[in-house]
Amino acid sequence: MDIIEISVNSATCHKNNNIIFKNANITLTNGEICIITGPNGCGKTTLIKCLCGIQSLESGHILMNNIDIQDSDCNYLDNIVYIGHKNSLNDDLTVSENLEYLSAFDSTIDKNIANKVKEAMEYFDIYKYRNFMVSALSEGNKKKTSLARLIMSYKKIWLLDEPLSSLDDNTIKNLINLFSKQQKKGGIIISSSHYNFSDSVNNFKFFKMGS
Amino acid sequence: MIKNLIKKELILYFRNLNNIFLPLIFFFLIISIFPLVLGPDKLLFNNIIPGVIWITVILTTLLSSNNFFRDDYSNGIIEMYLTSNKAVELILFLRIIACWLFTCLPIILFMPLVSILFDIPFENSFVILITLLIGTPILISIGIFGSALTLGLAKNNILTPIIVIPFYIPVLIFSASAIDSVSSGLPYDMQISILMALLFLILPIMPYLLKYTLELSINN
Repeated sequence: MDIIEISVNSATCHKNNNIIFKNANITLTNGEICIITGPNGCGKTTLIKCLCGIQSLESGHILMNNIDIQDSDCNYLDNIVYIGHKNSLNDDLTVSENLEYLSAFDSTIDKNIANKVKEAMEYFDIYKYRNFMVSALSEGNKKKTSLARLIMSYKKIWLLDEPLSSLDDNTIKNLINLFSKQQKKGGIIISSSHYNFSDSVNNFKFFKMGS
Repeated sequence: MIKNLIKKELILYFRNLNNIFLPLIFFFLIISIFPLVLGPDKLLFNNIIPGVIWITVILTTLLSSNNFFRDDYSNGIIEMYLTSNKAVELILFLRIIACWLFTCLPIILFMPLVSILFDIPFENSFVILITLLIGTPILISIGIFGSALTLGLAKNNILTPIIVIPFYIPVLIFSASAIDSVSSGLPYDMQISILMALLFLILPIMPYLLKYTLELSINN
């Protein structure tokens, strides 16, 4: 198993001359979950975006195995799955078409895409909607569709922004099971959430923002 | 992967047929307004119709490329592109080609009909066709670039054309000059070569430029 360590060192982020967050420090290694909590507007989403590398920091570093994630020799993108607030789904494609399309962007899914897609849809109980247009789905089902990427991918680091929003209790339980499985495989999960699921997972860290 | 991406582009365009037909209808509407305004002066018409066709094509490409990334931006697909470890440049390239194929090529295919409608001599209409065939991919790529550039801004409807139109000028100059040459019986291969050079300069660079621009637009 590859050993991966992610560390955020005194990271500060500005947006339009406003400080979004400052001096964030997190260190995570294989099998750990980090739950980012805090009030609205404290920079949870921005921190996750920084961790994806699509938002730049004003100062500080985000390192994976002591290499800056922006460095070309870091291969950071080979390891992350990012599921943001927006669902990354195309309204004019069906659920299964969307998942096939998304799998084209993940180098760890190269064969048996059809089987993978089916397995993912069955896990989140959206197989019955496979031929529905995404625009016709409810918010919860859209969220499930975008979370189904987690099952298809073999990537180690999951970066999730409010993954539990608009999900029902049953799906939340399923998702937390999925988190535990990923932990056992040695993955790292960083998730922002208002919902406290720390009783259901082991080996978690809290990162409180906005204090 | 490529098969998957091409399939998805095809599905999207065929599911939204208005993406294909609306530019075509728009083109014919605009071009049929000119005779109404200018009157039936045949001599005047012969002189200005190539310009009219080009201006109408520009308006059409602006319309179809103006909001090219808007839906993908609001759906978070751009973020997904930028956090994927596959070559995003390839998909951006495919999308430029698809956009040209489904919005410009239909217009070019209808060009013989336009030639008959406005009684353009065969030689001239052939050159117009050639310049459109080489010029429109350049216009589309620049238009898409403009839409990527203004992605993060809330109200960008007019801004994109303002940014983009100056970059259309070289294409226009050489196309107009080629059409001018052929109607005066001069050779026009120099202008066509320059247009080809522009195309082969812009098309390979554009995906990289687009990726960089999208990164900037997301990171603001």
